[in-house]
Amino acid sequence: MDFDVVAHGIVAGSLYALVAVSFNILYRPTNVFNFAQGELVMLGAMIFASATSLAGMPWFAAFVATLVAVGLIGLVEERIAVAPILARSQTGTGWVITTLAVSLIISNLVGRFWGPDPILVKPPEPLSMEALDLGPSRISSYEIMLVIVTIVLVAIVESAYRTLKGKAVMAVAEDREAALLRGIDPGSLRRWSFFLGAAFAAMTGVLAAPILYASTSLGPDLLLKGFAAAAVGSIGNNRGALIAGYLIGVTEALGASLLSPGYQEAVIFIVVLTVLLLRPQGLFGSSTARTV
Amino acid sequence: MKAPGGPPLLSVRNLDAGYGHVRVLQNVSLSVDAGRIVALVGRNGAGKSTLLRTLSGLNRAASGEITFDGQNIAGLRPHAIVAAGLLHVAEGRRLFRRQSVADNIELGRYGLRLGAEQHRQRMDRIHELFPVLQEKKDLPAGGLSGGQQQMLAIAQAMMREPKLLMLDEPSLGLAPVLVDQVLSAILTLRAQRVAILLVEQMVERALEIADEACVMQNGRMIASGPANEIATGDALRAAFMGDHGAPGHLQS
Repeated sequence: MDFDVVAHGIVAGSLYALVAVSFNILYRPTNVFNFAQGELVMLGAMIFASATSLAGMPWFAAFVATLVAVGLIGLVEERIAVAPILARSQTGTGWVITTLAVSLIISNLVGRFWGPDPILVKPPEPLSMEALDLGPSRISSYEIMLVIVTIVLVAIVESAYRTLKGKAVMAVAEDREAALLRGIDPGSLRRWSFFLGAAFAAMTGVLAAPILYASTSLGPDLLLKGFAAAAVGSIGNNRGALIAGYLIGVTEALGASLLSPGYQEAVIFIVVLTVLLLRPQGLFGSSTARTV
Repeated sequence: MKAPGGPPLLSVRNLDAGYGHVRVLQNVSLSVDAGRIVALVGRNGAGKSTLLRTLSGLNRAASGEITFDGQNIAGLRPHAIVAAGLLHVAEGRRLFRRQSVADNIELGRYGLRLGAEQHRQRMDRIHELFPVLQEKKDLPAGGLSGGQQQMLAIAQAMMREPKLLMLDEPSLGLAPVLVDQVLSAILTLRAQRVAILLVEQMVERALEIADEACVMQNGRMIASGPANEIATGDALRAAFMGDHGAPGHLQS
């Protein structure tokens, strides 16, 4: 087995894990699966690329501006596409269509505004995309940092759930009505979750841009594989998402190298379907159904 | 706390409410004074739980007035009603079963800023009333017995030092010794000037500890008054044995 292939699989898997975590941030308190999440990742990459490569903003300022801008778009999405549906019925599933609509709107607007050409984004100094000479692997310093940053981010998100606000999110996820009776306002948690979930998606886009380039095609690809990582790792479980991200990234890389690049997506779906067939709740979920 | 003869803590006037187009409550009026226990009794389906759900904002009132502590709370959202000091412990001990006992108690004060000293005092008061919750603080709430879960649900509400605590069937499914414990906890809370609105299927036990009582039948309030008068009055008998009632409903 080629070590270099596995290493690049883990790098790609880290990105899938980040997309899955951004799904989870949103899903936990709302039970809403935001199908625009992939386009929010893409939007993050595009805004950041324009701010740095085209407008010449410093890396950190552009980073913060991108997260806030996309976070606000997430908030707008919640107001116009999700809140009205859940106001009618808490268990309504119309958001499947409305979040998909938001996804298409963002995709078309971005395509019109930026055009189809990918934008090259340089990693922040002193990191670079140049392959380091590390014996069997030809991985870059930026890619190594991305893998580390991903693990740190998952740890940070997980520790956020140990705060009182995080526990309230879990309380709403378990029994919304009981949470209401304890003075928890699920509407406010839902707005925060959309803001933070969208900002997290944008950050994923910023982190992915030096590797994948910023382009409008980023969205659908990451949506699909991020969704796969979330489902295999059990939806709502961030550590599960991390491991499932690696699993999918490495499988994809091995499939491309051992079989043919044309098969890489087929290989992913074989893995996802096999896992979900054997364990419908994902690899890291408990088998008990949610009580409604 | 109110001066004798002052306005009641909770005052409900001509309340209509229900689910969708189904009208459950019709012209319900009720008042609860500070530091008093009011038992709300009636057969299954009389509308007791619906009344509590409407008071805590889970259901919308179709018409009528709800005044709590001088504030009109009809139409407020549940978290705002909780913030006003009206707490509702729902039927079936709705806890966060996957979180620890300690975390459940902490969630009781969500959104409330408490100083360290204040926080400790409230915890002490809870642990004094329910020592078992301190012993089991690290267990998931779902692993507690029914009685302990009921205590935990009351403890969550106590974190806010409510002015009025509404308890829906606190004795449901509990062993007799635990029923005694829960009822004595209710008396302790009254001694701390917490008003209690108690919905209870063990009617005689509820009327024993209550100051006042109200009887509901088919979504209407058919009687209210001092608990000892209600206990011997005709309304109670009518509510439980009228139409198709069975004497077995009156438990001793």
